Amino acid sequence: MPEAKSYNLQWLQILLKTAIFLAITGAAVSSRLFSVIRFESIIHEFDPWFNFRATKYLVSNGFYKFLNYFDDRTWYPLGRVTGGTLYPGLMTTSAAIWHALRHIGLPIDIRNICVLFAPAFSGITAWATYHFTCEIKDSSAGLLAAAFIAIAPGYISRSVAGSYDNEAIAITLLMVTFMFWIKAMKTGSIMHSTFAALFYFYMVSAWGGYVFITNLIPLHVFILLLMGRYSTKLYSAYTTWYAIGTIASMQIPFVGFLPIRSNDHMAALGVFGLIQIVALGSFVKSQVSWEKFKTVMVLSLLLLIAVGVSGLFVLTYFGYIAPWTGRFYSLWDTNYAKIHIPIIASVSEHQPTAWPSFFFDTQFLIWLFPAGVFLLFLELKDEHVFVIAYSVLCSYFAGVMVRLMLTLTPIICVCAAVTVSKLFDEYLDFSFLCKKGSSEGVSLRDRTLTFITRVTVCGSMLFYLYLFVYHCTWVTSNAYSSPSVVLPSRNPDGSPALIDDFREAYYWLRMNTAEDAKVAAWWDYGYQIGGMADRTTLVDNNTWNNTHIAIVGKAMSSPQDKAYEILKAHDVDYVLVIYGGLIGFSGDDLNKFLWMVRISEGIWPEEIKERDYFTPNGEYRMDAAASQTMKDSLMYKLSYYRFPSLFNGVEGVDRIRNQRIRQEDIGELDYFEEVFTSENWIVRLYKLKNPDHLGRDLRAVGDFDRNTVKGLKKRSVKKPNLDPRV
Amino acid sequence: MAQISFAHSCLLYASAVFLLCFQIAEVAALSVHGLKTLVVYDKRVTDLEDYSKFFNDLNKRSYELQFSSVNENVSDIQLFRGEERLFDNLIVFPVKSRQVSKGFTAATLLKFFEEGGDILTVTSPYGLTESVRTFLNQLGIFPSPRNHELRDYFEEGNTTSIHFSSSGTLNPTVFSPMKSANLSYEGSAALLDNRDLLIPIFSAPRTSFTKDPKGGDDWTVGLQGYTVVGFQNLHNARVSWVGSDKFFGNSHYNDNGEFVQELAKWTFREKAVIKSTGFKHKHIDGTSYDELPYKVKDSITYEIGFSEWNGKTWIPFNASDIQFELKMIDPYYRLKLLPVRKSEEAQYYSTGNFMLPDHHGVFTFLTEYQRSGLSFVTEKDVKSIRHLANDEYPRSWDITNSWVYLTSICSVIMAWILFVILYISSSSAMNVPAEKKIN
Repeated sequence: MPEAKSYNLQWLQILLKTAIFLAITGAAVSSRLFSVIRFESIIHEFDPWFNFRATKYLVSNGFYKFLNYFDDRTWYPLGRVTGGTLYPGLMTTSAAIWHALRHIGLPIDIRNICVLFAPAFSGITAWATYHFTCEIKDSSAGLLAAAFIAIAPGYISRSVAGSYDNEAIAITLLMVTFMFWIKAMKTGSIMHSTFAALFYFYMVSAWGGYVFITNLIPLHVFILLLMGRYSTKLYSAYTTWYAIGTIASMQIPFVGFLPIRSNDHMAALGVFGLIQIVALGSFVKSQVSWEKFKTVMVLSLLLLIAVGVSGLFVLTYFGYIAPWTGRFYSLWDTNYAKIHIPIIASVSEHQPTAWPSFFFDTQFLIWLFPAGVFLLFLELKDEHVFVIAYSVLCSYFAGVMVRLMLTLTPIICVCAAVTVSKLFDEYLDFSFLCKKGSSEGVSLRDRTLTFITRVTVCGSMLFYLYLFVYHCTWVTSNAYSSPSVVLPSRNPDGSPALIDDFREAYYWLRMNTAEDAKVAAWWDYGYQIGGMADRTTLVDNNTWNNTHIAIVGKAMSSPQDKAYEILKAHDVDYVLVIYGGLIGFSGDDLNKFLWMVRISEGIWPEEIKERDYFTPNGEYRMDAAASQTMKDSLMYKLSYYRFPSLFNGVEGVDRIRNQRIRQEDIGELDYFEEVFTSENWIVRLYKLKNPDHLGRDLRAVGDFDRNTVKGLKKRSVKKPNLDPRV
Repeated sequence: MAQISFAHSCLLYASAVFLLCFQIAEVAALSVHGLKTLVVYDKRVTDLEDYSKFFNDLNKRSYELQFSSVNENVSDIQLFRGEERLFDNLIVFPVKSRQVSKGFTAATLLKFFEEGGDILTVTSPYGLTESVRTFLNQLGIFPSPRNHELRDYFEEGNTTSIHFSSSGTLNPTVFSPMKSANLSYEGSAALLDNRDLLIPIFSAPRTSFTKDPKGGDDWTVGLQGYTVVGFQNLHNARVSWVGSDKFFGNSHYNDNGEFVQELAKWTFREKAVIKSTGFKHKHIDGTSYDELPYKVKDSITYEIGFSEWNGKTWIPFNASDIQFELKMIDPYYRLKLLPVRKSEEAQYYSTGNFMLPDHHGVFTFLTEYQRSGLSFVTEKDVKSIRHLANDEYPRSWDITNSWVYLTSICSVIMAWILFVILYISSSSAMNVPAEKKIN
């Protein structure tokens, strides 16, 4: 949109922009409210439950206590230094909003603030994307980009109402930081680059993905240096950003000394050093003749590279710089995690992305995206290099991990907006119709043809835009609005129904168990148990201690007597398993079971072997053909206990695995007793039995009780086979 | 943990019962629980007159004895009415018949025992009913079957009449004789398994064995046979088994009397009963955990009181082997508790001051005193120990090592300021050679 000359037109433009922005924000917020309308105002999924719990703690205990929060209700008995191991940005922001609203006489429940947090911030994201794209192209592209990011499903997937996660605020901050960085880089303004650093700090405080910025900005600078585009503007922008940003980021307890010790941050440091040398070089270049400079440059470059690379190796070898983290390796080698760190691979959002999900998450933007990148290549200004670097890096990462779709979405929107606006720049120009007779050479036929082409192109583009909006709305309402705490379902007559087993079970736990009861469950449910049932858990979604998770995995994969021992040693009172075989809920524990086996095999390779859980043919089965180790495992028993009694008492049909489960394979449960099973059998809760008061093992007790009930009596008295007493 | 809480609640229950008894009849308060006792016997094997001395002693100690023979009104032998336990103690004399009644099965005996009833079982080679045998087998006591007799060919005269000295007791807590007596025993011996809850009191003599006179294999040989065995379950209820009814008889009462009474006292919890009067842990300056939760490396002190029942009242309990554990899965500390002060009822033991480990987490403050023959005491408290808060570390200038860095920071700042001042003040004098650039 070129700036209008006349005063009135300027006003009209401002008015229009405001109206457009209001509309965009409205669309962004309202499409994110599907989850509240369809379900209710509830915190979604897993991680948000932790963030919500931490926010409540912050609101009721103040910042000092929050900063030093030691949580003794998770990771029993290790506890978690929660205050020092979380990114506090999200919680502090919502607490600040809560306090601010209360201050102006609007006391709002903290839960509602948390639920509506992400939609509110999506408006700001749109605004930041607008300014970012303005810097890249112009304001018409900016408005398009803002509209795209407002409703793109790739971003909505992590920012619907109730999805109170770090990403909800992080994408906003990401775009704001980049916006300021581009401004700073273009102008060399220390103020803008300070703003970039401050927002970088905010980002560091909000999401672990800040490392992306830490690497992308240096990469941008590095490419510019390689292209010979060094300028004092770049120098002042980068050095200011790096110095302030690094010192600020080290104030976050969880980050601490990482920026100078971890390899993930070394690129930024290296580029910081490099830009000093380049600055020195350009200074020297301006002082001496070209020949002299060349020799100096070559020599010093060689020396620097040698010193730098060997220094990095030496420091890493002696442990001054932490080696790359596992998550980093898995970015390059998609099989790395599966072999070395099953705990990372076991998370579904760490799986490689399937091709359809690119289209699903961004619809027609995905094919406009390469076109946009190409268009930027044609111009290749300094800021375009940034967008290109961002696009290339993120496309790769998004291909490796599903969750990184999220960081790719903004740049897809920007590039696609550049394409669309370029197209509209060319084709939406109907001014030639008005210029009657001004150009003699243009015949009526040419004009008509031009008109038809332009109308066709613009019309089809508008149609695509309409389709895009339609697709986004459909995806948002159908795929991304489910809280996953409550599952949508249909009654036999087709009317919608809700499966509310999780909350039913968590509420039962909350009301019927001792306040200090310890619940063992697979780590996926840790945050929910902590948040909804308020009971102590052994492991949760924080996954900071692989061994502790492996302990729970080992208990689940062991026969009941061994499992009982392990769980008792950790003071466990209840075991919670998720079983979806009755209702057809595929995300149940038996389907995750192999990960439990793998993770515990990583720690105890002699005791747990993955192979033992398969049939001799290598099939993963639960029916009569299942291996004995599988049938003995606690997970099998707890999932299927009493299951055939729903059918004929002999055989039950597991709807997820399509297999017949026999009563004789399930056997007796002597060490645990069932205390609760939810309506659709999704959540099953078992209590560890008390040790026998006579010191017998519980299997012997069970056998004795069963024989008593059956009335079996030993007629002849045989001499028992006992070890000599010492 | 459940086990411990059970033991704890049992203790509470026992002391509650005790308090009740104490208020109702101070004289009757002999045992920590009631004295209502059922004696089950079989008229065909047992003539109660033969045991009058034993029962008189019990009566003297105000036991309420109710005798029921299995020969008439079998249905009267009920240990429970609904869920309510009718008796505190049970004495079972040899019963010849295979079954007794529906109210007197192994399962009801186990239930009676689990809910805190004490049982003295006496069997003989001719009186070992199925329910008692099954019950004993569940405890890990395997009395020799019907007709098996304990024999010792080194005995003079009757080889089935065994004599052993009362000073050979295997558990001095249950019984330590004033003066050594020669106990006479005639009956069967039992095999025991290796359970910790079993308390062997007397083993059969080295030269003895148990065998059916009509043939068959040996049941026990030498010291692997046991004649008197006690058992205490995790709820602190007690069972004792003696394989000889004549052991309690009037004819041997001069020799056996002292031991028999001591055994009854032990079984019915008149002696060797201890309890904790509660524990306390706090910072060494006296502030409690509630006022100021512990953090790593805090100095704290732990104190616990122990009482022993002497048959009339609770008195201080003295021991030198009580330990305190601070554990998080594994013990971080195992400290010997030393006596510090004494009240009328309890002896208090303390760890003295000790420093919490430099490791945050949820720790269990545990005193577990489980000695064979004494009641089990478990006191447990789960408390978290937090890490140091952000402002609880020493400041940088308190660490002498950091002075070199602080100096360098200061000097750089000073140098920078100096440079700026010099630069600004001298900039007018400086001549920027703008035209020098050649390339």
